[in-house]
Amino acid sequence: MLAETPSTDFGMAERKKPTDGVVTGYGKIDGRTVYVFGQDFTVIAGTVGAAHAEKIAYCIETARKIGVPVIGLYDSAGARIQEGLDVTRAIGKIFFQNSITSGTVPQISAIMGPCIGVAAYSPALTDFIIMVKGTSQMFITGPSVIREVTGEEVSMEELGGAKIHSEISGVADLVTSNDEECLQHIRKLLAYIPSSAFQVPPRVVSTDDPNRRIEDMENLVPEDPKKPYDVRRVIRRLADNDEFFELKPKWARNLVTGFGRLHGHSVGFIANQPLFLAGSLDVDCSDKASRFIRFCDAFSIPIITLVDVPGYLPGTKQERAGIIRHGAKMLYAYSEASVPKITLYLRKGYGGAKQAMCTREMGADQLFVWPGVELAVMGAAGAVGVLYKREIEQAANPEEMRRQKLEEFSERFSGPFEAVAKQYAHNAVRPEETRVRLIQALEMLTTKQEDRPRKKHGLMPV
Amino acid sequence: MTPVTAPMVGKVLNIQVKVGDRVQEDDTIIVMEAMKMEIPVVAPVTGTIQEIKVAAGDMVESEAVVALIE
Repeated sequence: MLAETPSTDFGMAERKKPTDGVVTGYGKIDGRTVYVFGQDFTVIAGTVGAAHAEKIAYCIETARKIGVPVIGLYDSAGARIQEGLDVTRAIGKIFFQNSITSGTVPQISAIMGPCIGVAAYSPALTDFIIMVKGTSQMFITGPSVIREVTGEEVSMEELGGAKIHSEISGVADLVTSNDEECLQHIRKLLAYIPSSAFQVPPRVVSTDDPNRRIEDMENLVPEDPKKPYDVRRVIRRLADNDEFFELKPKWARNLVTGFGRLHGHSVGFIANQPLFLAGSLDVDCSDKASRFIRFCDAFSIPIITLVDVPGYLPGTKQERAGIIRHGAKMLYAYSEASVPKITLYLRKGYGGAKQAMCTREMGADQLFVWPGVELAVMGAAGAVGVLYKREIEQAANPEEMRRQKLEEFSERFSGPFEAVAKQYAHNAVRPEETRVRLIQALEMLTTKQEDRPRKKHGLMPV
Repeated sequence: MTPVTAPMVGKVLNIQVKVGDRVQEDDTIIVMEAMKMEIPVVAPVTGTIQEIKVAAGDMVESEAVVALIE
């Protein structure tokens, strides 16, 4: 479309050019149709004028009607203020299209330059945000406004660069080192997800044996429950060809999310990460997990949850940050999700935190435990301190009594037997057979159908 | 000078480096215990250890500076 700005105010008549700073159209990625819009910084600094915004809104609307993904490449100096109210109205149309399209077709945003001011809300309404290191920035109010209002001096990069959004704010899902890599990542991401909510994810022919046993699996998770390990190694060993496409890898690192494949089927992995904050649940990782769960559910991607969780992160900071309402999101998202859900306990699950990791009550269709698992209402030491407080205090040798009770308690609640006997788990699986069993369960669940009560929409805690 | 900070409240179990040691980014500086787990506190940058501010057995707050790297 060779649309141009209708404005002639503030010298715009001399600056106007065809396209109005954004190119829109469709093409194919791996043989699949996609819609794309790309802002062009060389035309009026990629500023968003009314015609520009109309083109983007129309592009998103069309992708939704056709049922194909829409990819936005952002590179713009912001709203074109010369056009006044017309611009804000047109930008509103983009937000509306982004919002109502959410959950129908995938929306992917690549931030390949500045994406600032109110325009930053467009990618925020999409499913994935990829930023390019060093050249992309996202913020609502810029350095000059901040200086004027608060007196704070901050650079664009410190305010909203890729590092900030991928490590602190959690806005960005991925960071790439250059534009080419950014485009490659979009292709990789698309390979895991269907073109619309009414299709199934693309299945690839897997070269990895579905009956592959993983003899060293046990060594990846130390027996000593105090020892941390990198759960991403477990995920990679389970997935086809050791491939795991991690999202938000540097934010809320106490929980890992990302896509992989099992016998060619696309799956979403969610796992506690003992390397960070002992793998406990907090405000940020609840956001990270629930957003990912909802994406998987909206686009028919089965969810594999790997559990090794000591509890919620204690402290006034978390309570005041609203861990109650944030933590509730995980419970809500897992309960709401009707895609196949498979949960695997690697080592331990304590208290309420294990409910947040998709128990049978939260709708896990298959729940497996490894032989060394410990499931309890709380950790052994804490439980013994409460349950046997008096016995320990009154004992001739309190330390000896504590040790003895601890041993009794651990023996009673460790291992898979109680979990299986009481139907918390469907089955115990050996670490080396885990991949085989996950694939069998996943293929068994392909035809799963599960309805929810009819309603306009639920009220997810936010 | 880059501070190395404790990721969460916990007890210092042991210290893996001494002043003057050269460390790479992500090397373990100290090991803490919290939430029934050993938690490695790693170097945020590559550099030389200038100061260690804690000893084994100390309780540290979240975000407390445990060491400095130049």
